[in-house]
Amino acid sequence: MSLSGTFAAGLLLGVVSFTLVGVLTAVLVLAERKVGARMQARVGPMHTGPHGSLQTIADMVKLVMKEDVRPARADAVAFGLGPLLVAVPAILSLAVIPFGAPLVMRDLNVGVLYFLAVPGVTVVGLLLAGWASYDNYSFLGGLRSSAQFISYEIPRGLAVVTVVMLAGSLSTVDLLEAQSRVPYIVLLPVSFVIYAVTSLAEVNRVPFDIPEAESELVAGYHTEYSGFRWALFFLAEYAGLFAASAFGALLFLGGGNGPVLPPVVWLLIKTGGLVFVGIWIRFTLPRFRADQLMRLAWKFFLPLSLANLVLAAAVMRAIA
Amino acid sequence: MTTAALTLSSILFAVGVFGVLTRRNAISLLVSVEIMMNAANINLVAFSRLHHPEAMTGQTFALLGIGIAACEAAVGLALILAVRRRFGGTDVHIIDLLRG
Amino acid sequence: MSAQELLFAGFGVVAIAGALYSVVTRSLLRAIIGLGAFLTAVAGEFYLLAADLLAVVQVFVYVGGVVVLMLFALMLTASGARHPLAAIDRPRSGAVLACVIGGGLVWASWTVDFAEAPPAPDDAVGALGRALLGAQLGPFEVMGVILLASVVTALSIVRRERP
Repeated sequence: MSLSGTFAAGLLLGVVSFTLVGVLTAVLVLAERKVGARMQARVGPMHTGPHGSLQTIADMVKLVMKEDVRPARADAVAFGLGPLLVAVPAILSLAVIPFGAPLVMRDLNVGVLYFLAVPGVTVVGLLLAGWASYDNYSFLGGLRSSAQFISYEIPRGLAVVTVVMLAGSLSTVDLLEAQSRVPYIVLLPVSFVIYAVTSLAEVNRVPFDIPEAESELVAGYHTEYSGFRWALFFLAEYAGLFAASAFGALLFLGGGNGPVLPPVVWLLIKTGGLVFVGIWIRFTLPRFRADQLMRLAWKFFLPLSLANLVLAAAVMRAIA
Repeated sequence: MTTAALTLSSILFAVGVFGVLTRRNAISLLVSVEIMMNAANINLVAFSRLHHPEAMTGQTFALLGIGIAACEAAVGLALILAVRRRFGGTDVHIIDLLRG
Repeated sequence: MSAQELLFAGFGVVAIAGALYSVVTRSLLRAIIGLGAFLTAVAGEFYLLAADLLAVVQVFVYVGGVVVLMLFALMLTASGARHPLAAIDRPRSGAVLACVIGGGLVWASWTVDFAEAPPAPDDAVGALGRALLGAQLGPFEVMGVILLASVVTALSIVRRERP
């Protein structure tokens, strides 16, 4: 491919994936509101479009048209960078998910590690957003969210390591092949549970949604944000939820493997199932307190994931 | 490619040297030292590409270097916190007591 | 110029710009932001130099770890100031000395005529893994001990004495 061709393709891919993430967010938000309404015996949004199906589109248009307010004493550079550094990694982490033959954006031979590393940049965005807003609630929210993110990153990584050990590869495409007969949820159930719970914490969802602890922190690090910048935080949450679910489906449920239907459909079904569980948890469980949350990460999940890793290695050694 | 990488790493190293020479704030000093370490890592990776790429000696070295840099940042920043608590600032020039 | 060379030059420009910005800006917060840009660009260079794993580790450890640590340290030491500033001492003599050192290094790397780099191994990640658990196992294990020791040291330094 020629030089300009390569860059044009890259640019096109970027625009297309950003648009796709926007559409995805709209669908996920609508799904969340509808499912949540069902669970609480309501009907949810009904007015815009048939059965309220266009409600989130209308909400997005409203968000983008809103005035972009910046606190007078905020640091302009950091205030602008914050939401970008939260949203861009969430979108970038989608790049290594193999949606099926034509849709693997990039078969990196370090794909799994990439998926663990890139969302880590989010912490920088959270801290910058909280600090630059020049507001104590934002600052405390930013510190708490980033501390939570860092704490849960460790058991999550250790859970993924067991999968990598079993598959013997860091490439997402190899992972699919390794699970063609038995999905890893059967072989590594503990890893799956650790991954699922810590992923909820990583994308700041209930019961780990410290930023939305409105009784103590207003809205955490995004208290001072509005308009498009706020929409970026919103986009990041749902892109993150989707990416974590898709990776969960890939790591433990066999990704696109399945009979009859094409791989893309299978992956989307499995991802949808995990997203549904996430929504279900949101409307079922209360929120953890900040100190309980840290205790859970360091005193329960970290030892559990270490023990799980050692046990998995020992069993694999014994069998091999 | 090798020459380009070496040139880049030389320039980055010089930038780091400038930072270390002109800064008094401990955090800025640490930033400059990290720049110099990364410049060295680029060198190592470039040479790993040039000599016996299958042995991966240079890349191993760079990987260990990244680990050392992380240790250095952790201990350095802990020291900065302790200094801030003891002397009320992070300027390295205010640390002028030999007694603890 | 191939796409790879162009990308290499592009990442190089970003790396130098980020590094320069972080040493000349007076705002500590912006210095750390510049460092973040620099580190990400270096990760790009690693990828182009056929060190995929190192590129990801760079993002993992540096951008997701060291930069975050620095931001935390900055926020904990800023004593209320939201735009902590740091002075620059004698920039002229510093610049002269840095130019001398940098110029010498650049000159040294240009005098050597390097051979064309051999093709990168197919399974670079696997080769690195085998090296770490084979010939380089000793340093790798020592690295783990050093990491543990530094964590314990850092904790014991910042621990508050109980009255």
